[in-house]
Amino acid sequence: MSTDKKAKIVIERTYQAKLEDVWDLWTTKAGFESWWGPQGFRADVAELDARVGGALRYEMVADTPEMVANMKKMGQPPSHSVTSRFRECQPRERLVLTNIIDFLPGVAAYENDIVVDFRAAGGKVTMTVTLAPMHSEEFSAMQREGFTSQLTKLDARFG
Amino acid sequence: MQLDVFQALADPTRRRIVEALLAGEQQVGDVVLRAGIHQSGVSRHLRILSEAGFVSMRPDGQRRLYALKAGPFQELDEWLRNYRALWDARLERFEAALQRKNQKSKDRSKRK
Repeated sequence: MSTDKKAKIVIERTYQAKLEDVWDLWTTKAGFESWWGPQGFRADVAELDARVGGALRYEMVADTPEMVANMKKMGQPPSHSVTSRFRECQPRERLVLTNIIDFLPGVAAYENDIVVDFRAAGGKVTMTVTLAPMHSEEFSAMQREGFTSQLTKLDARFG
Repeated sequence: MQLDVFQALADPTRRRIVEALLAGEQQVGDVVLRAGIHQSGVSRHLRILSEAGFVSMRPDGQRRLYALKAGPFQELDEWLRNYRALWDARLERFEAALQRKNQKSKDRSKRK
Protein backbone atom coordinates (compact mmCIF):
# COMPACT_ATOMS: atom_id res chain seq x y z
CA MET A 1 0.00 0.00 0.00
CA SER A 2 1.11 3.50 -0.72
CA THR A 3 -0.35 5.03 2.42
CA ASP A 4 2.85 4.96 4.43
CA LYS A 5 4.66 7.09 1.91
CA LYS A 6 4.80 10.74 2.71
CA ALA A 7 3.18 13.19 0.35
CA LYS A 8 5.84 14.68 -1.89
CA ILE A 9 6.15 17.68 -4.11
CA VAL A 10 8.55 17.47 -7.05
CA ILE A 11 9.64 20.66 -8.78
CA GLU A 12 11.87 20.55 -11.83
CA ARG A 13 13.65 23.47 -13.48
CA THR A 14 16.04 23.63 -16.42
CA TYR A 15 18.55 26.45 -16.60
CA GLN A 16 20.90 27.61 -19.30
CA ALA A 17 23.91 27.47 -17.02
CA LYS A 18 27.01 25.69 -15.95
CA LEU A 19 26.53 22.79 -13.56
CA GLU A 20 29.23 24.22 -11.35
CA ASP A 21 27.33 27.50 -10.91
CA VAL A 22 24.07 25.73 -10.08
CA TRP A 23 25.84 23.56 -7.52
CA ASP A 24 27.58 26.57 -5.96
CA LEU A 25 24.28 28.32 -5.31
CA TRP A 26 23.40 25.49 -2.92
CA THR A 27 26.79 24.82 -1.42
CA THR A 28 28.49 28.15 -0.83
CA LYS A 29 27.57 30.80 1.73
CA ALA A 30 27.32 33.63 -0.80
CA GLY A 31 25.46 31.40 -3.24
CA PHE A 32 22.89 30.17 -0.74
CA GLU A 33 22.27 33.64 0.69
CA SER A 34 21.64 35.03 -2.78
CA TRP A 35 18.31 33.28 -3.27
CA TRP A 36 17.04 31.22 -0.33
CA GLY A 37 14.75 33.82 1.28
CA PRO A 38 11.84 33.09 1.53
CA GLN A 39 10.04 36.22 0.33
CA GLY A 40 10.35 38.95 2.95
CA PHE A 41 13.26 37.19 4.65
CA ARG A 42 16.96 36.90 4.09
CA ALA A 43 19.15 34.01 5.15
CA ASP A 44 22.32 34.91 7.05
CA VAL A 45 24.50 31.83 6.84
CA ALA A 46 26.64 31.09 9.91
CA GLU A 47 27.98 27.76 8.72
CA LEU A 48 27.76 25.84 5.48
CA ASP A 49 29.77 22.66 5.27
CA ALA A 50 28.76 20.84 2.10
CA ARG A 51 29.82 17.28 2.81
CA VAL A 52 28.06 14.26 4.27
CA GLY A 53 27.16 15.07 7.86
CA GLY A 54 28.15 18.73 7.43
CA ALA A 55 25.98 21.47 8.90
CA LEU A 56 24.04 24.27 7.31
CA ARG A 57 23.17 26.87 9.94
CA TYR A 58 21.50 30.12 9.11
CA GLU A 59 19.41 32.87 10.60
CA MET A 60 16.10 33.58 8.88
CA VAL A 61 15.79 37.34 9.24
CA ALA A 62 12.70 39.41 8.39
CA ASP A 63 14.06 41.70 5.71
CA THR A 64 11.31 44.13 4.76
CA PRO A 65 9.61 46.71 7.01
CA GLU A 66 6.29 44.96 6.35
CA MET A 67 7.63 41.58 7.43
CA VAL A 68 9.31 43.03 10.52
CA ALA A 69 5.99 44.65 11.47
CA ASN A 70 4.12 41.46 10.69
CA MET A 71 6.36 39.32 12.90
CA LYS A 72 5.96 41.86 15.69
CA LYS A 73 2.21 41.77 15.32
CA MET A 74 2.26 37.97 15.56
CA GLY A 75 4.38 38.21 18.71
CA GLN A 76 7.30 36.52 16.95
CA PRO A 77 10.96 37.51 17.03
CA PRO A 78 12.18 39.10 13.76
CA SER A 79 14.57 36.24 13.15
CA HIS A 80 15.08 32.65 14.10
CA SER A 81 17.85 30.17 13.53
CA VAL A 82 17.60 27.06 11.42
CA THR A 83 19.94 24.09 11.45
CA SER A 84 20.07 21.55 8.67
CA ARG A 85 22.46 18.77 7.80
CA PHE A 86 23.77 17.44 4.54
CA ARG A 87 22.59 13.87 4.70
CA GLU A 88 23.93 13.23 1.21
CA CYS A 89 26.38 15.20 -0.85
CA GLN A 90 27.58 13.88 -4.20
CA PRO A 91 29.24 16.90 -5.77
CA ARG A 92 27.31 18.21 -8.78
CA GLU A 93 24.92 15.26 -8.75
CA ARG A 94 22.79 15.12 -5.68
CA LEU A 95 22.34 16.58 -2.26
CA VAL A 96 19.95 15.88 0.56
CA LEU A 97 19.37 18.51 3.22
CA THR A 98 17.76 17.31 6.42
CA ASN A 99 15.94 19.67 8.74
CA ILE A 100 15.20 18.61 12.26
CA ILE A 101 11.65 19.62 13.08
CA ASP A 102 11.38 19.74 16.84
CA PHE A 103 9.34 22.87 17.41
CA LEU A 104 5.82 21.63 16.80
CA PRO A 105 3.77 21.29 19.95
CA GLY A 106 2.40 17.79 20.33
CA VAL A 107 4.41 16.37 17.44
CA ALA A 108 7.44 14.21 18.18
CA ALA A 109 10.67 15.51 16.68
CA TYR A 110 11.20 14.20 13.18
CA GLU A 111 13.27 14.92 10.11
CA ASN A 112 12.25 16.58 6.92
CA ASP A 113 14.33 16.21 3.76
CA ILE A 114 14.92 18.39 0.74
CA VAL A 115 16.38 16.28 -2.07
CA VAL A 116 18.04 18.01 -5.00
CA ASP A 117 19.22 16.19 -8.12
CA PHE A 118 21.37 17.86 -10.76
CA ARG A 119 21.72 16.72 -14.36
CA ALA A 120 23.73 18.49 -17.05
CA ALA A 121 23.06 18.00 -20.76
CA GLY A 122 23.76 20.12 -23.81
CA GLY A 123 24.77 23.29 -22.00
CA LYS A 124 21.74 23.10 -19.75
CA VAL A 125 21.25 21.97 -16.20
CA THR A 126 18.11 20.29 -14.96
CA MET A 127 17.54 20.58 -11.26
CA THR A 128 14.90 18.49 -9.51
CA VAL A 129 13.82 19.46 -6.02
CA THR A 130 11.81 16.89 -4.06
CA LEU A 131 10.05 18.10 -0.95
CA ALA A 132 8.13 16.41 1.80
CA PRO A 133 6.21 19.47 2.91
CA MET A 134 4.26 18.24 5.90
CA HIS A 135 5.21 20.19 9.00
CA SER A 136 8.17 21.75 7.26
CA GLU A 137 10.03 24.83 8.41
CA GLU A 138 8.28 26.91 5.78
CA PHE A 139 4.90 25.64 6.73
CA SER A 140 5.30 26.83 10.27
CA ALA A 141 6.67 30.14 8.96
CA MET A 142 3.66 30.54 6.69
CA GLN A 143 1.37 29.83 9.59
CA ARG A 144 3.09 32.49 11.65
CA GLU A 145 2.74 34.97 8.84
CA GLY A 146 -0.88 34.12 8.36
CA PHE A 147 -0.48 32.93 4.78
CA THR A 148 -2.60 29.89 5.47
CA SER A 149 -6.20 29.76 6.46
CA GLN A 150 -6.85 28.74 10.00
CA LEU A 151 -6.85 24.98 9.78
CA THR A 152 -9.32 22.88 11.69
CA LYS A 153 -8.27 22.52 15.27
CA LEU A 154 -8.91 19.58 17.48
CA ASP A 155 -8.79 19.14 21.19
CA ALA A 156 -5.68 17.50 22.64
CA ARG A 157 -7.38 14.55 24.24
CA PHE A 158 -7.47 12.68 20.94
CA GLY A 159 -3.73 12.79 20.43
CA MET B 1 -1.99 21.06 22.54
CA GLN B 2 -4.14 21.28 19.45
CA LEU B 3 -4.51 18.83 16.59
CA ASP B 4 -4.82 20.15 13.07
CA VAL B 5 -5.58 18.37 9.80
CA PHE B 6 -1.91 17.48 9.39
CA GLN B 7 -1.71 15.87 12.77
CA ALA B 8 -4.93 13.97 12.10
CA LEU B 9 -3.25 12.52 9.01
CA ALA B 10 0.17 12.05 10.60
CA ASP B 11 -0.88 8.60 11.77
CA PRO B 12 -0.35 5.87 9.13
CA THR B 13 -3.40 3.89 10.26
CA ARG B 14 -5.60 6.96 9.81
CA ARG B 15 -4.19 7.51 6.33
CA ARG B 16 -5.13 3.92 5.49
CA ILE B 17 -8.63 4.51 6.78
CA VAL B 18 -8.95 7.62 4.61
CA GLU B 19 -7.78 5.64 1.58
CA ALA B 20 -10.23 2.85 2.32
CA LEU B 21 -13.05 5.41 2.50
CA LEU B 22 -12.22 6.60 -1.01
CA ALA B 23 -14.21 3.56 -2.14
CA GLY B 24 -17.35 5.24 -0.77
CA GLU B 25 -19.65 5.16 2.22
CA GLN B 26 -19.21 2.02 4.30
CA GLN B 27 -19.47 0.33 7.67
CA VAL B 28 -16.61 -0.09 10.13
CA GLY B 29 -16.14 -3.75 9.19
CA ASP B 30 -15.55 -2.83 5.56
CA VAL B 31 -13.11 -0.09 6.56
CA VAL B 32 -11.14 -2.64 8.59
CA LEU B 33 -11.05 -5.11 5.69
CA ARG B 34 -10.17 -2.56 3.00
CA ALA B 35 -7.53 -0.82 5.08
CA GLY B 36 -6.00 -4.10 6.20
CA ILE B 37 -5.80 -2.84 9.77
CA HIS B 38 -6.58 -4.30 13.13
CA GLN B 39 -10.09 -3.93 14.52
CA SER B 40 -8.84 -2.52 17.79
CA GLY B 41 -8.62 1.23 17.86
CA VAL B 42 -10.48 1.72 14.61
CA SER B 43 -13.39 3.54 16.23
CA ARG B 44 -10.99 5.83 18.07
CA HIS B 45 -9.27 6.65 14.76
CA LEU B 46 -12.63 7.24 13.09
CA ARG B 47 -13.60 9.57 15.91
CA ILE B 48 -10.37 11.57 15.52
CA LEU B 49 -10.91 11.78 11.77
CA SER B 50 -14.47 12.96 12.18
CA GLU B 51 -13.47 15.54 14.83
CA ALA B 52 -10.91 16.86 12.34
CA GLY B 53 -13.66 17.08 9.73
CA PHE B 54 -12.41 14.34 7.42
CA VAL B 55 -15.16 11.81 8.04
CA SER B 56 -18.89 11.92 8.53
CA MET B 57 -21.10 9.24 10.08
CA ARG B 58 -24.81 8.63 9.55
CA PRO B 59 -26.92 5.93 11.13
CA ASP B 60 -28.87 3.68 8.78
CA GLY B 61 -31.07 1.45 10.86
CA GLN B 62 -28.67 -0.63 12.96
CA ARG B 63 -25.73 0.29 10.78
CA ARG B 64 -23.43 3.25 11.06
CA LEU B 65 -22.09 4.42 7.72
CA TYR B 66 -18.85 6.36 7.40
CA ALA B 67 -17.90 8.59 4.46
CA LEU B 68 -15.28 11.20 3.53
CA LYS B 69 -15.98 14.93 3.65
CA ALA B 70 -14.38 17.41 1.27
CA GLY B 71 -13.60 20.32 3.63
CA PRO B 72 -10.17 19.44 5.05
CA PHE B 73 -8.98 18.16 1.68
CA GLN B 74 -9.73 21.56 0.20
CA GLU B 75 -7.72 23.14 3.02
CA LEU B 76 -4.82 20.78 2.34
CA ASP B 77 -5.01 21.62 -1.32
CA GLU B 78 -4.99 25.34 -0.55
CA TRP B 79 -2.01 24.88 1.73
CA LEU B 80 -0.11 22.88 -0.90
CA ARG B 81 -0.74 25.68 -3.38
CA ASN B 82 0.80 28.18 -0.94
CA TYR B 83 3.75 25.91 -0.34
CA ARG B 84 4.29 25.39 -4.05
CA ALA B 85 4.05 29.15 -4.64
CA LEU B 86 6.74 29.72 -2.02
CA TRP B 87 9.07 27.31 -3.81
CA ASP B 88 8.19 28.71 -7.23
CA ALA B 89 9.18 32.18 -6.00
CA ARG B 90 12.30 30.76 -4.40
CA LEU B 91 13.37 29.06 -7.63
CA GLU B 92 12.70 32.25 -9.57
CA ARG B 93 15.20 33.96 -7.29
CA PHE B 94 17.51 30.99 -7.86
CA GLU B 95 17.32 31.60 -11.60
CA ALA B 96 17.94 35.33 -11.16
CA ALA B 97 20.97 34.58 -8.96
CA LEU B 98 22.23 32.20 -11.61
CA GLN B 99 21.90 34.84 -14.31
CA ARG B 100 23.84 37.34 -12.19
CA LYS B 101 26.57 34.70 -11.83
CA ASN B 102 26.59 34.07 -15.59
CA GLN B 103 26.80 37.77 -16.27
CA LYS B 104 29.74 38.14 -13.94
CA SER B 105 31.74 35.35 -15.56
CA LYS B 106 30.94 36.78 -19.03
CA ASP B 107 32.15 40.21 -17.92
CA ARG B 108 35.31 38.63 -16.58
CA SER B 109 36.07 36.79 -19.82
CA LYS B 110 35.46 39.99 -21.82
CA ARG B 111 38.06 41.83 -19.79
CA LYS B 112 40.63 39.12 -20.44
